Amino acid sequence: MLDFSSQSIGCTRIGGMGCLCSRRDLKRTVLPGAWLLLAWIFLFGLPSALLAQGKTGGGPIDRPEMDDSSDSLDATWGVGPWIWSPQTYDKQSCRFWRSFQIPATASVRTASLRIAVDNGYRLMLDGRELGIGSDWRSVTEYDLRLLLKPGWHVLAIEAFNDNREAGLLFGLKIEFNDGSRTLIPSDTDWRVVPGDERGWERKHDASDAWERAVVVSTFLPRPDQPKTGHWFERVPTMMVKVPTIQPLEVHFWTSGWFQATLVGIVVVGVMAYLRLQARLALQSRAQELLHRERARIARDIHDDLGARLTELALEGEVVQTELPPDSAARVRLSALSEKARSLSGAMDEVVWLVNSRRDTVRDFSAYVCKHTQRFLDSTAISCRLDVDGNLPDASLEMPVRRNLLLAVREALNNAAKYSGAGEIFLRIQVRGQSISVVVEDHGKGFDLDAVDSLRNGLINMSERMKEIGGRCQIAAKPGSGCRVEFLVPFSRPSSRSKESVDLPLAGLRGKEGSNR
Amino acid sequence: MKKGLTTTPQGAPAVKTPVRVALVEDQIDTRESWRRLISSFPDFECVCTCASAEEALRMIPEVNPDVVLMDVFLPRMSGIECTARLKAARPDTPIVMLTASDEDEILFLALESGADGYLLKRTKPEDLRAALLDVLSGGAPMTSEIARHVVASFRRKSGGLDESVSLTVREEETLVLLTKGYANKEIADHLNLSIETVRSHLKNIYMKMHVRSRAEAVARYMSKRPG
Repeated sequence: MLDFSSQSIGCTRIGGMGCLCSRRDLKRTVLPGAWLLLAWIFLFGLPSALLAQGKTGGGPIDRPEMDDSSDSLDATWGVGPWIWSPQTYDKQSCRFWRSFQIPATASVRTASLRIAVDNGYRLMLDGRELGIGSDWRSVTEYDLRLLLKPGWHVLAIEAFNDNREAGLLFGLKIEFNDGSRTLIPSDTDWRVVPGDERGWERKHDASDAWERAVVVSTFLPRPDQPKTGHWFERVPTMMVKVPTIQPLEVHFWTSGWFQATLVGIVVVGVMAYLRLQARLALQSRAQELLHRERARIARDIHDDLGARLTELALEGEVVQTELPPDSAARVRLSALSEKARSLSGAMDEVVWLVNSRRDTVRDFSAYVCKHTQRFLDSTAISCRLDVDGNLPDASLEMPVRRNLLLAVREALNNAAKYSGAGEIFLRIQVRGQSISVVVEDHGKGFDLDAVDSLRNGLINMSERMKEIGGRCQIAAKPGSGCRVEFLVPFSRPSSRSKESVDLPLAGLRGKEGSNR
Repeated sequence: MKKGLTTTPQGAPAVKTPVRVALVEDQIDTRESWRRLISSFPDFECVCTCASAEEALRMIPEVNPDVVLMDVFLPRMSGIECTARLKAARPDTPIVMLTASDEDEILFLALESGADGYLLKRTKPEDLRAALLDVLSGGAPMTSEIARHVVASFRRKSGGLDESVSLTVREEETLVLLTKGYANKEIADHLNLSIETVRSHLKNIYMKMHVRSRAEAVARYMSKRPG
């Protein structure tokens, strides 16, 4: 290594550039568009880069002594002459480029790069920023020993001139283990890269369009050298030594494959999400189709089969009237008509169950009330309805409606048969997200533990509730009646509630295509 | 056309003139069956059968029947619209809707348009006859579900309609009891009224529904006119 032991002048710290350089590097390596990843890497990459580069703090300041007076580099300062682009103007930004090769078999022992620019610079090796400087009076020495692997390398310097004269001092001295050396001074082999060139700091070959740098002044720092003009009087006053620059530590999260994998995972995730979304949409469409199909089936059964059954019953009645009054066929025809009527009624119930347009809590309540009244009409028992005025549009699925209806029917049957009460109450209320249907009588009541005749019915009701995720609560006492409550949760508000109002009205406009 | 009277074994009182029924039904088989069934009742005769609403509007005002049986679903013009038009021409002729299913929304619309009652098509002949006689004697059958619709409809903002089409306290009480499942007789007992009074309340409610819906229709028409 070089000996920088003598003539300590001052101290300058060069801090913060480590993180600068790593940030720039990252921006280049990260795939454009993967901003999420970038932010992630930025967050995690930054501290590690600081750690790695923190060692590059300040170094001892020396006036160097170089012994190679015969070299193209100045013996004391280790740099070539002042060079610049052929044109010089104020507020100028000038980009210098040079590439060189380290032989494949060579191993670098020392590599010392010195630089000073009037007025400032940014130094890059193979696209990586090594440091910045802003005062030509201090020459900075960078130790590139660990960076120069065999192969082509690109030196790139962005130099700035504030006003008047401008110049770049540069010298790179590489010593190999076999004793050979490579010297790269600031000279006319440097190229000046036009401002619109992109990626120039990594290009291995110069374009013909790039001008050669010109020597604006020789570098004659020693008092004994002859001088003419103010340029030659310029002498740097200090040397700032930057500790050995470490190769960029490639963290796994900054490595290409990791980022590619991450991007891959994200892409796969997004695709899986989109597929799932599409499948859900398809499914909900299928659901919608099913609902529509059910409404159609309901309508068809009703319009076609139901209407014909009604006609059959009617026909039976008419034929009866035309038979002699004492005819035996009359009775049988009457029974036939009755059967057709009850079949038509049963069909209506199936239609109601299947019909997806009638699946709201409100529709259910209306149906159960009607059913209860019709059922109690044939008895001496009065029907008392107590229905919540604000039943929601929430939907009850077909199995729920069916089981709840059958359970309520069972409870009504029991009450009518056994209670001996004069009134039966049907109460329909909403409790939270559940519908509560209560069948209540103030009749004889019974002892829950001692009923054999009712047991099957009670078990049935409980089973039905269990099947649809509901509950059945029975409170009965001898002498004080019986109260059966069914509690069933309902699902989301029905999206079809509006349709259920629209459709029948549409049907009124005519029945083209409907075969009733 | 006097077949109903002559073939009745019980020998209905011939002094009474039979009830003259008009029938509107588009299906030919059904229409014929209904005609024969009605004619088979001792005190009824079917004086007019129409296959469409248009035909009904042409013939019924001329024939001037005692009661009209009207199918809800008719091609082109619906039975509901036909009812509204017939009511405008002959407000005193009761119209009973015939329907295959008791969809409350449709029945409510029919009642608003001026219908005086409705019958399920699968009603037993004796019930049909009783219902027709009830309507003819000023009855206005109403189920608890329809009553619920009526109460809700009257409680909605009446939109500048005057007092005469609002419900009286008694009428509202009657309706509320209906929604609770009370039969007409029970309502009468509960409110200390005669069953006749309850019936007339219901009749009035029907009338008010009809007036209201017409007023609303006019209001809608007025508001739609430009200027």
